[in-house]
Amino acid sequence: MLGNQSSLTLYFLPLLQRLWPGFLPGQYRARLVGKQWQTADMLQLSFQVSGRWPGFLPGQHLLITLQHQGRYISRPFSICSPFSLWQSHRQIQLCCKINSAGEFTPLLQQLQNGTVVNISAAQGDFCRQQPTLPTLFVAAGSGITPIASMLLSQRHWLAPVTLYYRCRGSENAALLSELTQLAARQPLFSLMLSDSRTEPAETLQQQLLTDSNDKQFYLCGPAAFMQQIRTALLSSAVKPAQIQQEQFGLAMPLATGHSNDATPLTASFIRAGISTQVTLNPQQSLLQNAEQHGLAPRFGCRMGVCFQCVCDKVSGQVRDLRSGALSGHGAEQIQLCVSQPVTELVIKL
Amino acid sequence: MKLSTAQFTALEQELDSVKQQVQQQLGDADARYIRRVLLVQRLSALSGRILLVLGFITPWLWLAGVLLLALAKILDNMEIGHNVLHGQYDWMNDPVLHSKRYEWDIACDAGSWQRTHNFEHHTYTNIIGKDRDFGYGLLRLSNDFRWRLRNLWQGGTYLLLSMLFQWGVSYHELAAQRVFAGKKKADRHSQVSDSELKKAFFGKGARQLIKDYLFFPLIAGPMWLWVLCGNLLANLIRNLWTSTVIFCGHFTKEVYAFNAAQCEGESRGQWYYRQMLGSSNFTGPTWLHILTGHLSCQIEHHLFPDIPARHYPAMAKQVQAIATKYAIPYNSGSFVRQYSTVFLRIMRYSLPGGGKAVKGL
Repeated sequence: MLGNQSSLTLYFLPLLQRLWPGFLPGQYRARLVGKQWQTADMLQLSFQVSGRWPGFLPGQHLLITLQHQGRYISRPFSICSPFSLWQSHRQIQLCCKINSAGEFTPLLQQLQNGTVVNISAAQGDFCRQQPTLPTLFVAAGSGITPIASMLLSQRHWLAPVTLYYRCRGSENAALLSELTQLAARQPLFSLMLSDSRTEPAETLQQQLLTDSNDKQFYLCGPAAFMQQIRTALLSSAVKPAQIQQEQFGLAMPLATGHSNDATPLTASFIRAGISTQVTLNPQQSLLQNAEQHGLAPRFGCRMGVCFQCVCDKVSGQVRDLRSGALSGHGAEQIQLCVSQPVTELVIKL
Repeated sequence: MKLSTAQFTALEQELDSVKQQVQQQLGDADARYIRRVLLVQRLSALSGRILLVLGFITPWLWLAGVLLLALAKILDNMEIGHNVLHGQYDWMNDPVLHSKRYEWDIACDAGSWQRTHNFEHHTYTNIIGKDRDFGYGLLRLSNDFRWRLRNLWQGGTYLLLSMLFQWGVSYHELAAQRVFAGKKKADRHSQVSDSELKKAFFGKGARQLIKDYLFFPLIAGPMWLWVLCGNLLANLIRNLWTSTVIFCGHFTKEVYAFNAAQCEGESRGQWYYRQMLGSSNFTGPTWLHILTGHLSCQIEHHLFPDIPARHYPAMAKQVQAIATKYAIPYNSGSFVRQYSTVFLRIMRYSLPGGGKAVKGL
C-alpha cells in the first residue's frame, strides 16, 4: 500500500537493481560456469545456482530470463543433469538447442562464463512416478534433456528400463556419452538409437508396440512426433494412464470450421482502456497476432508454461494449441501464447 | 473538411511513418531512461519523507522535504504513471512498468483512469458530449454549452478543481456513470458495474488518505503535524501542477472542439487531423518537458499515445513540418502565453455569449 505497487519489493526495485544489478523478484540467481557444445546446435550450459533455489525433480524445467534491448524475455529449458550434481555442488546443467534465427537462444550462446542470469523455480510434472515398474522412454531430438536427467538421477534400479532415442545420427545425439556410460554400467538399462535419416518412424513404433506389455511410457520430443507415437500406442492395448509426456514447441493445427469461411476473423483487443480491432491470422497464436498489430501484451515462455500472458477473454472461442481443446464462448482467462482464434474475440490485454 | 480524401490518406501515411521510425528504434536507451526517472522518483520520495521529519532541526529542511516529495509525486503522476498507464513501456515486459500492473500515487484508481482517459478522452478528444474532459462537466469553456448561473463563479470552481485535481480525476468516471447522483444516461454503457466503481473509488482514495495523513504522520511521532502538513502541501503542489499542464493541452485559445456528427465514420487520417486541432503544445527546457510527462507535447501525445514520451520533442519537429505542409494549424507557444489564454477562456465563458469552439473542419 505504501508504494502503491503490489509489494514493497516492487516499489524499491529501481533501488535494489542498483545495488544488485539484474535482481528480479521471484527469480533466483544462477552463474554460468561452463559452456560445452553437445552437438552442432545443442549447447550445454552449466550453472552454479543460488542457495535459495528450492531444487528440482528430475524431468522438470525452468525459465531463464534475460534482458535484451531493454526487454525482459524468458524461455523454458529442461534440466539435463543428475540430481546428485545439484545436491553435491549446487550446480545444474541445461541443454539448449540454439536457433540462430531466433531471438533468445543466440543470447545464450553469447553468454560469458561468470555471467549471472535469472532462473525460475523448477516446474512441470514430467517426472518418474513409479521407478519399480518396467519403463520405456522415448526421446526425440532435444526431448532427450528431461529424460537424461531422470535416467542419470536414478540411484536404485529395480526394473528394466529402455530408452529409444531418435535423432539425426549419433553425431546429433546430445548427452550420448553419458547415456552410453550408464548403459555400460547398469544392466537394467538399455539404450536404443533410432536414426531418423535412415529409419522410418513406423519401425520405431513397431518396436515399441512389441515391447509394450505392462510398461510405463515417457515420451518427450516435437509435438507432431509425440502425437504419432501416442496414437499408435493408444490404438494398441496401452492405456492413457500408462503414458506421460512432455511437449517441446507447439504444433499449429490447421484451423477448421468458422475460420475456413471467406470472412476473415477479427478480434477486439482492449489494452489500457483502448479497444483495437484487428484482423486475425488463424494460423498463429493470439500472442503473435497481437504483437503483429503493435500491441505489446505481457509474455514469457511463449509455450504455455509460465502464465505471464494470461489475460481475460470477454467473449469468443479459442483452441488450446497443446491439447487441441476448444474453450467455452464466455468470459474466462486464457493464455495468449497457446490460444488459437476460432471465432470472433474480445480480449482484455 | 479542408483536406481532400487523398490528402487525408497522405497525412495518415506520413504520420504513421513518423511513428514507425521511432517504434523501430525502441530499446536499451528507452529502458535506461525510464528506469533512471523511476530511480530519481524513488530517491526523491524517500529523501523528501525523511527531510519532513528532520524539520525540527531547521524548517528549511522541512521545506526541502516538501519540494522533494512534490517532485516525486509529480514524476510519479506524469512522466511515469501517466505514460506507463498508456502502455508506452509495455514492450519492456517489466514487472513494474506495465500498464496492467502499475498503480500510481494519486487518488484515482489506475483502471478507472484507463477507461475514462485512455479510451474516452483519447478516442473522442474534444467532441462535445463525448469527451467529458472538455470542461470536466464543471466549466463552460465555449459557447457550445448553454450558460448557467453556476458558470458565473466558475473561476472559483476552477481554482477548487485545480487544488483537488486528483479527487476530480478519481470521481470523473463515477460522475459520468451517475453513480451517486443524477439520472442514468441511456446511451452510456460501462464495462464495470457501479458497485465496482464505488469499490475502486473508496478503496484507492482511502489507501491514499491513510498513507499520507495517518500512517506517515503517526510514525513521525512528535513531528506528526509537520509531516501531515508537508504531505498536504506536496499533494497540493502536484495537483496544481498537473491541472495546469493538462488545461494547457486542450483549452488554449485557438484549440478546436468538435461535434459528434463531424466525426462519424472518420478515417484514421481524419482522426489524426482532429487530434492535431484539438490539442496544444507549449515550449520550454528539457526539465520542464519531463515534469509535464512530456504533455507539453500534447499534440504528439494525442497522435501517438503509446510511444514512449521522451521521443515527443523530436517528433514534434516532424509533425510541425507536416502540419505546415497541409496548412493544418499547429497550436504551440510559451508556457506563460498558453496558460494565460486558458485562464482568459475560463473567465470569458463564465459570462453568457462568446464564440464557439466547434468550427467547420
